[in-house]
Amino acid sequence: MLIARLGACGLLTIAGSLFAHDPVFAPGPHTLFKGGIELHLGSERVQDDAAVDKAGELSLLYGITGDWVAGVQIPYAYGDSGHGFESTTLLTKYRFWRNDRPRVQESAALLARVILDSGQVRSGATDAVLGLTYGYESLTWYRWAAARYRYNGETDAGVDRGDVLLLDAVIGVRPRRLEYRAPDSVWMLELNYERQARARASGAAVPDTGGARLFLSPGLMWTWRNLAVKPGVQIPVWGDLNGAQRNPDYRALIEVELHL
Amino acid sequence: MKILLLLFALMLPVAAFAAEQTYRLRVDGLACAYCAYGLEKALMKVDGVEHVDVDFEQGAVIVDTARDVGFSEDQLRRMVNDAGFTLRGVERIEAAAQ
Repeated sequence: MLIARLGACGLLTIAGSLFAHDPVFAPGPHTLFKGGIELHLGSERVQDDAAVDKAGELSLLYGITGDWVAGVQIPYAYGDSGHGFESTTLLTKYRFWRNDRPRVQESAALLARVILDSGQVRSGATDAVLGLTYGYESLTWYRWAAARYRYNGETDAGVDRGDVLLLDAVIGVRPRRLEYRAPDSVWMLELNYERQARARASGAAVPDTGGARLFLSPGLMWTWRNLAVKPGVQIPVWGDLNGAQRNPDYRALIEVELHL
Repeated sequence: MKILLLLFALMLPVAAFAAEQTYRLRVDGLACAYCAYGLEKALMKVDGVEHVDVDFEQGAVIVDTARDVGFSEDQLRRMVNDAGFTLRGVERIEAAAQ
């Protein structure tokens, strides 16, 4: 996902896939060709009974090698909960295993993000995300799995916001024959699990924080030449939240990417 | 004379795109057109490369070039790896003399 807000709508998410031939919400192992530049624009909408929150995001990534990419992501939030730049994220992904076979690519990658304390509202905390992701791609179907852990730094006010665990499983189907110069689409269904530890302030547990949630997320990956468009919706299907918390009706995301 | 000039002008583009040789690369891992774009981009940077196409069913990258373009297998292997794929073999096909 685009933004790292904790609070509004009880968002537990972190910046998601970014790389084009990965799922919409879960990260996949895809990287960028050596010397390539990825320009990425995203727009997110989160709605619940009380508010609609929106965010835009601009990312720029560079392919250091065919298996290693690094970049920067700048989100901007706008909506009922306020306007302004959010924390800049530095990110990298390294594909450490690749098993290429005729018409099939199977691979795994490590990813890392550092979420700087650079937003309009600064808390004094720097956060970090570490993740592991696996993907299988063929001409007809795809599968992905990912695990991420977000370490939330302690704020200047002494609040430990609780670390976040994210687990994803995704399946994708290509309904039409793949042609190199023709538009291509892959339909996906994601299962996204999020679990956040209860927040603590001065050593005491903060009520109405933390818990677990499960989302079912249909999405589409549409590509043509060096352009990709990826819309998706996260629908909550299960939750076990501590106390009374805002719960989103849905989270919608659309991403547009260009490889240069 | 005008007709001759017109005929000559019409023949120019045909001559410009007529490949004199073709490299057929057998590449593993090709399962997405968007991902293969990086390989096309790298190959098209080479002087004399005229056209790049991908046949996913055959797992092949077809590179049409001018006659004076000479790729070594190591060079192609590096380019394919930098694009995120694995080169398994190369076949060079010369166009028939006209």
